[in-house]
Amino acid sequence: MASEAERKKVALRRLGDATFSKVDKVSAELFSLTYGAVVTQLLKDYEDVAAANVQLEKMGYNMGVRMVDELLAKASLAQCASFSETAEVVAKVGFKMFLGVNVEVAAATSSEFRLLLSENPLAEFVELPEECSKLEYSGLLCGVLRGALEMVQMRVECSLLRDTLWGDEVTEIRVLLKERLVEEFVDDDE
Amino acid sequence: MPAGGCLFVIVGTDDKPIYQAEFPEARSQRREDTLHLNQLTVIHAALDMVDELVWGTQAMYLKQVDRFNDFYVSAFVTASHARFMLLHDARNEDGVKQFFTDAYEAYVRLLMNPFFDSGAKVPASFDQRIRLLGKKHF
Amino acid sequence: MLKLRRPPCFSQLCAAQRVVSQSAFAFLFSEMIQYSQTRVNTADELIAKLEDAGVGVGRRALELACWRERSSKRETRALWKSLFGAHADSLQKVQDSDDEFMIVEKEPLVNAFISSAPVNCAAFVAGGRTPSPPESGRLGRRLAAAQFPAEVSAHDNEEGATVLLIKFAPEVLEREKRQA
Repeated sequence: MASEAERKKVALRRLGDATFSKVDKVSAELFSLTYGAVVTQLLKDYEDVAAANVQLEKMGYNMGVRMVDELLAKASLAQCASFSETAEVVAKVGFKMFLGVNVEVAAATSSEFRLLLSENPLAEFVELPEECSKLEYSGLLCGVLRGALEMVQMRVECSLLRDTLWGDEVTEIRVLLKERLVEEFVDDDE
Repeated sequence: MPAGGCLFVIVGTDDKPIYQAEFPEARSQRREDTLHLNQLTVIHAALDMVDELVWGTQAMYLKQVDRFNDFYVSAFVTASHARFMLLHDARNEDGVKQFFTDAYEAYVRLLMNPFFDSGAKVPASFDQRIRLLGKKHF
Repeated sequence: MLKLRRPPCFSQLCAAQRVVSQSAFAFLFSEMIQYSQTRVNTADELIAKLEDAGVGVGRRALELACWRERSSKRETRALWKSLFGAHADSLQKVQDSDDEFMIVEKEPLVNAFISSAPVNCAAFVAGGRTPSPPESGRLGRRLAAAQFPAEVSAHDNEEGATVLLIKFAPEVLEREKRQA
């Protein structure tokens, strides 16, 4: 059983690598600098870290809602049998395909998992100034996860538990499953 | 400025000074405030030389651009026209060049942080990095 | 107390050109447009806002590209490629005008995913509607940063390509003449 799960993980990692290798790419700096411009603009507009956090999450949500379609279109995925399998798909295919990074899953259960990012293209060059020490710079990712999972009938809550920008070793996102929006799995159309 | 010491100034794209450091670090009490002012004036005057020289070359490192009594002013101009100015009283071309090159890396790193804009205060981490470089090369 | 973060190793981090998927950028960019739209009243304000955002990006990208070259030369040609993966489709001199150049891009990256925007989103890349300071927008800033003050603006041409019109400030031309 364990080896079955391992095999699946390896297969997903390969799928993620293959998908990333065939999509069009742009320089990671263009991406991170543009995001930096967005974040600093939000802080300027709202003049409040907490409000900026909320807005970043919201922007992520809007992105996630659209990104999941692309994920499903570009990577041929089997239906996930469990929430922990969903976690593996998010980490090994989703993050890989869009950001080109390897993300680890930790503490996966039937209603919760954590994602550990040792590299984060959003925040590569960032040092938070003192007055923004509460800023959830990568909160966009929480929003993306919430939006994307909602589109596949999972209502989740995501939070940024640790962040390298706060001095932590890794960036850690917790994803809590609140509710499955439909009782049964929808058959995969493809 | 003690013998063998240097004064390092970064002048931003918009001609505003954004950073300044002295190596080795100034001792407890500064008595020579006026001297210090003079040094800044020397650097300021050399800026005009830099703005002339910069069009004659593509190189970032402009070597010694000016001399004042026993002092030399060396300069380095980045791609976005930030100017690194170093006032030093000893000829030490290799050290200066190496210092500029390393300081450029620190500057690019500073610039890449979206929270840094040229009007803002330079964060402590940058100051630390530059001071380490000062120790290393001078 | 905020612990200062020390990124892994800057030289390592930036030595190689690293990439993310183009669509990740497109989704982010379109979200940025959506957001900006909620904060402005007119298309011109939106353009200004995009240009604003482009300014910082351009200056930073220029400096990083030059640093990465490790040649200690001030050289700007590599920038466009490093940012957008290809040289602009063509650089043309405007006929009968000494101080105007055009960069024509058939499908600018920033517009590739956005069809319904009320303005040409390449404003983010171009800029410079405001005469003072002349160096707004990414390209404008790139040129200005390299000490070529210029106005840059984004337009659509008849064939649907995006044209970045660059108009250099008079002193640049004078300087060029002096040096020639």
